[in-house]
Parts: sequence; C-alpha cells; structure tokens
Amino acid sequence: MATTTATVSITSNDLTPGSALSVSASSTLMKAGLTTGLNQMESGVMNIPTSIEFRLGPLATQAGPVADNTHNIGSYLYICNKSTDNTYWVDWGIHETMMGRLYAGDWMFIPWNASDDDAEIEIEANTGTNSIEWAFFNSTVALPTAAA
Amino acid sequence: MPTLTPTLTLTSSDVTSDELNFSVTDSLTVTAPSQSLSTVVADTTGANTILKAASSAVTYIFIRHTGTTDGSTGTSQLLALENTDNTQFGSLKAGEWCFIPHLSGSLGIQLQSASGSIQAEYGYWTAS
Repeated sequence: MATTTATVSITSNDLTPGSALSVSASSTLMKAGLTTGLNQMESGVMNIPTSIEFRLGPLATQAGPVADNTHNIGSYLYICNKSTDNTYWVDWGIHETMMGRLYAGDWMFIPWNASDDDAEIEIEANTGTNSIEWAFFNSTVALPTAAA
Repeated sequence: MPTLTPTLTLTSSDVTSDELNFSVTDSLTVTAPSQSLSTVVADTTGANTILKAASSAVTYIFIRHTGTTDGSTGTSQLLALENTDNTQFGSLKAGEWCFIPHLSGSLGIQLQSASGSIQAEYGYWTAS
C-alpha cells in the first residue's frame, strides 16, 4: 500500500516578543479505521469563475467501481488558492454552510469526512476567476461511468 | 503586524509512478485575537469544546489529535471536527492534524470525541 505523508510547519519570529513560534506535525494518510495507507488520489488545477458553487471530490453516495463501494469513508483534501491577485478569494463550505475563505496564496488541509451527500465540499470564487490547486486522497476514488 | 508562515508538505514515493513531493508555503499577516498553541480535552458533547467562536474575520486554525486522553493515556478514538451547528466536516485519527482558514459570522468551530475523552492541541491566528 502506498505511504503518503502530510507534514505541516507553522512558524513566526515576531508573533510573541521573545518567543518564536515553531509548530511541526506530521501524519501518514491511512484508510478509514485501518492501518494501511491510502492508495488512490486525484489532483489538478482549475480556474473557477465567480458566482458558481462547485463541488470538490465525489459525493458520499456516488457509486464506485464495486457494488456498495461508495465514498462514505474518510478522505483527505488539500486546496490552495493559486491566484496572485490579493483581492481574489474563494469561499469554501460544507454543502450550503460557509466554513471559511482562502485568499490568494492560502491553503488548507483537512481530513474530510464524506459522511453523506450533505457533507460535500463546495467552493465559490469571488472578485474574479480564481486558480485552484487541489488534491484528494481516498481509498475508493471512482471514475465517472461512461456513456452508453 | 506579525507574520505567520504555514507550510504544507505532501510526499509519497509509491502513490503514483511520478513521486509525489511538493510543498506550499503562505505568508500571513496576523493580528489579535490569537490563541497560542494550547491543549484542550474534548468529550462527547461538541458544545463543551468550542475552540473558536463565530467571527467576521478569517482565522487560521491548527488542530492536532494528540493520541491521548490526557497527555499520557493513549486513545484511538476519532475526534470529530464540527461547526457550532453540530455539522461534522471531518475527523482526526490519533496523531493527525488539520489547518483550516475559518470564516463564519454565525458558526464557530468545535471538537467532539467519538467516545471518552481526547486531548487535542490547537492554536489560531486572525488575518489582519
């Protein structure tokens, strides 16, 4: 099984006088409830226009290549707003609930729990067309079914 | 204004034939309020462990499951990440972490253990 490692460092030399901040954490991305590594990923870069809500990743109930192989499992999601204009941003949320905002250059990483379709990750660009880089790690990434 | 530098590195030598190895770094100008790296013990009621109240400013939140109930006793229970409307958007296994740019004028961020207690480490910093 694949071994994928996510590491974060958060540093600041001037946040607290006399005490530099230096946080570091690392974890291996595992299948839900198991000690085996995730072995499927999707990634890409997209330009998203304003005023349209887009979904990242599959729906929890979206069928996979094997019967009952749905996406109701733990996953990991990385999103980065690669826009370079500081007035641009992307709002992200869970279904219709806004959760946060990625300004140009900002990134996020969450162990996303695709527990049901209402847990879908939505993103919406503001100000102008934003460039989004993303990666989605999962144990059951499915390709769309081909047209008949 | 202080500057915060968060860096994410994702690596894998075998998830694809093209080795995965990239880093992304941001430079964030931050201001008050902030919460220095702290620990909290979450229980099975999310409302008991609200890390960050609703805010009209973007707040960068770091959360890590310490893998313990109290700093010493191990636990493998899942730690749910929720907004204060009890909507779960993720869950941390022991040792895992997340970094979230939060913004909601009506909903904050809270933690809830699947069972028993879980000690979490967290901090947040507000964008200026």
